[in-house]
Amino acid sequence: MNSTSSSVPRSAFRVPRSYPGWDRRHFLRTGAAALGVSVSGWLDQLAAAAAPDPQRKRACILLWMNGGPSQMDTFDPKPGHANGGPIKGIETKVPGIRVAEHLPMLAARADHLAIIRGMATKEADHGRGSYLMRTGRVPGGPLRYPTIGSFVGKELERPDSELPCSVSIAPFRLLSPEAYGPGFLGPRYAPLVVAENVIGGPNGRNQDIARLLKVQDLDLPNGVSDQRGNARIEFRDGLDEEFLADHPGAAGDGHRTAYRRAVSLMRSSAVKAFDLTEEKDALRDKYGRNLFGQGCLLARRLVERGVPFIEVTLSSAPGVNNGLGWDTHQTNFESVEKLCEILDPAWATLMDDLKDRGLLDTTTILWMGEFGRTPKINPRKGRDHWANSWSTVLAGGGIKGGQVIGATTPDGMEVKDRPVSVPDLLATVCTAIGLDPAKQNASNVGRPIRLVEPTATPIKEVLS
Amino acid sequence: MNRIAFGLIVGGIVALPTPNLQAESPKPTVSPSADATAMATRIDQLLAESWAAKTITPAEPATDAEFLRRVYLDLAGRVPTVAEARGFLADNRTDKRRHLIASLLHRPTYGRHFTTIWRHLLLPEADTNRQPLVFAGFDSWLHGQFERNVSFDQMVRELLTTPLDRPTPLKGINNLQGATNPTPISYYTAKEGKPENLASSSARVFLGLRLECAQCHDHPFATWTRDQFWGLAAFYAGIRTQDRGNGLSTIGAEVLDRRELSIPGTNRVVQATFPDGTEPVWTSKLTPRQTLAAWMTAKDNPYFARAAVNRVWAQLFGIGLIEPVDEMAGGQDTVIHHQALLDELARAFVAQKFDLKFLLEAITSTKAYQLSSRGKGQAALFSRHSLRGLTGEQLYDSLSTATGQPDAAGGDDLLIRPNAGPRQEFLTKFGQQTSKPTEYETSIIQALTLMNGNFVGQATRPKTGELLTAVMEAPFLNERGRVETIYLATLSRRPTDKEMEQVLAFLVKRGSGDNPGEALADLFWALLNSAEFVFNH
Repeated sequence: MNSTSSSVPRSAFRVPRSYPGWDRRHFLRTGAAALGVSVSGWLDQLAAAAAPDPQRKRACILLWMNGGPSQMDTFDPKPGHANGGPIKGIETKVPGIRVAEHLPMLAARADHLAIIRGMATKEADHGRGSYLMRTGRVPGGPLRYPTIGSFVGKELERPDSELPCSVSIAPFRLLSPEAYGPGFLGPRYAPLVVAENVIGGPNGRNQDIARLLKVQDLDLPNGVSDQRGNARIEFRDGLDEEFLADHPGAAGDGHRTAYRRAVSLMRSSAVKAFDLTEEKDALRDKYGRNLFGQGCLLARRLVERGVPFIEVTLSSAPGVNNGLGWDTHQTNFESVEKLCEILDPAWATLMDDLKDRGLLDTTTILWMGEFGRTPKINPRKGRDHWANSWSTVLAGGGIKGGQVIGATTPDGMEVKDRPVSVPDLLATVCTAIGLDPAKQNASNVGRPIRLVEPTATPIKEVLS
Repeated sequence: MNRIAFGLIVGGIVALPTPNLQAESPKPTVSPSADATAMATRIDQLLAESWAAKTITPAEPATDAEFLRRVYLDLAGRVPTVAEARGFLADNRTDKRRHLIASLLHRPTYGRHFTTIWRHLLLPEADTNRQPLVFAGFDSWLHGQFERNVSFDQMVRELLTTPLDRPTPLKGINNLQGATNPTPISYYTAKEGKPENLASSSARVFLGLRLECAQCHDHPFATWTRDQFWGLAAFYAGIRTQDRGNGLSTIGAEVLDRRELSIPGTNRVVQATFPDGTEPVWTSKLTPRQTLAAWMTAKDNPYFARAAVNRVWAQLFGIGLIEPVDEMAGGQDTVIHHQALLDELARAFVAQKFDLKFLLEAITSTKAYQLSSRGKGQAALFSRHSLRGLTGEQLYDSLSTATGQPDAAGGDDLLIRPNAGPRQEFLTKFGQQTSKPTEYETSIIQALTLMNGNFVGQATRPKTGELLTAVMEAPFLNERGRVETIYLATLSRRPTDKEMEQVLAFLVKRGSGDNPGEALADLFWALLNSAEFVFNH
């Protein structure tokens, strides 16, 4: 057995970054001129706008509203119209911008929010919609596209970090597991999942939330000393080296990678990030003592420690359908109210907390679900799936807050002004965090694939 | 450890002169089928011709131990016990592989294993434990099909034509009787009774066609049109659902003469039409679902037998004769590995009255299936066996077997249950593979669970591990014997001479502490965490 393959120095797990400084933008600047090709104007503009300070560490937090949140009862209220239902609109800190009444804390921070009311997509099935929103691609076809956490995490990963480049908090992956996977980037970039939400699983009420949000099975079993643990890990590594040397294939590579990363995590002090009991009770209370609230707090702790991408899923509330919480086919208004009671303080506190620590300017927040909900209220006082005209929200780093982009018709049925596609939205996020949406990665079908569809145009008025 | 468990395990550990002393020993009455043997020869002939034409050199034949482990995982869903491994390796019969295959196809583990495989295909909705009550009765229905070796066409007809007016499992669960009534009705509940969901699932699983991309609109480069998709869905148009107000719907009375539906969101009405474009011949005796089932499972259906054969092949090789198995025609990335072989195998499957055991026996009896997985670089056209990830169930049951807890892998715990036991808990972490078995992805969480989690932790603690205790306490084993036993329990093979020396050196180095069992426990731990254990190869 090869004893040199052991001892697992942390630096061994650094992944060489591909051609630093030699990216797509560079190519366009030099290559395009030489070829006489016209480069679409936004790229240059963005290059000038983004990343004035290359040393700044940027991060992205996705607040994922599983089930498809109702735009009419959150960020695009229509009080007075039959489709608006009983929910009232309220003034915000920004004159002229109104949001639904159950979001008072966010209303008071509307100067940070850029509300996009003209989302227009075509997938109104949970699985397909999730895949579209989370990868920027229509499902089907030969390519397995990476989820946003994987491709953003890969780009922003810091080689010296012991923590994974992407963490997924309380996801509910059942209906579209591939929308949560690393796709052609491979298991190396699979998000680390904590507090996975499975119906019938451990995420019910009366749980110790701080414990749920820890990475499970990180410590050596009771009675196994560090020395003994290391010795057997070393022995195990040797077994794999020998076996995998003449059993080539993606499956074996993935196994090797996962074990290396798991061991590296076990030996790292960085996992203290997952220990929420280090935080003051008062702050934990502000976030809300629920899985989503505490998940947002964990997201802030991870941003502080250099994790570039974190997503926090809101998929349940007391008395609301667990797992697909926002899927309010019936009793929409009661459910949305309960979900907003969790969402509003958690998100507002997250922005305050990031701001207090000087991190809000470098942390971009994206709020979305897989689609919106029917403007028309169904006979069960519910709203069904709707992709034609709905809302998403951007906030924080790289985002010019205090504005509404686009508008829907008074009945909410159509986008009246400034429709936004999914690639546009994701290109905006990429740009806000300093990435070139046209950057290419190698894929599983042998041709390079851009982060976002080449048709994408960032929403330039949103970018600060 | 109780006496019985100790006896069983030690019985396996001793190198007994006869292999047939355990409960699951092969029954001598089961003998290999001549038809399967002939088909295996034909498959090998076709593959040999293709290899010759493309100057491909196949890998070496698999060793007995390689074959043993592979065929147990594929036909029984777990690794062999120490006793089973010793018995097979000591068997001197030249046709012992054929006998093992035949016997594995007649054991209870067969029905259990294939129930989980087909449930994942038919009810992927159940994979993460969602609303377990909705799925009641399905596993026991499937299990009955495999136990009785119901022919595949009959099984599919039963699924597609099951009456929908019976009490649903959801009602039945209240009186606890219905919970165990075998019924495939969950298939309809899981698809929410929606014609489009039923159409896309049945087309994918039984015809190897992925039509659902055409659900919303025609795609410029795709073969299937929106009308073709909804034409298939229209066979299910009579199904009615009742919303129960809690996000669940139950299936209500069916309108039995409904043969058309309007595409949602449009004014377009589509008549029930088969995907190959033929018009159904309607009779008053058959409902639309019965008409569809009759067409689908007909001997001359252009897709049905081929899709089944291709799927079974992919289950055994990790790669189908046509890939992807769900999209055998019309996909942008459809790859045909061996058309002639698929066609011939499909014809034989029909001639054998859609007997799945015939198919499994024929394929596992081939020289191709029995090639080694060792090699370098790419190996085309099944010329080497591939490394395949295990399903969550295979891994859990193999861990249970290897660690001497056969009860944990026992026969009845295969149902989706409302109360999550340790097996269910394990499956939520390991049962969510979306990729092909040859592209199996291991997550950090899985690695952590296997290294530090409770299950392996208990099993590799000298005081609590059943197999470990048995190995330590067996008076007739020396150090080499103990190592050999642990290798047989985990990897189903004996260590090579080189490995034995390395292991002994490791044990000496590690064994200097107070607890002599610790070093052996660490060896056991390392083997359970090794790629060689967690993959089929």
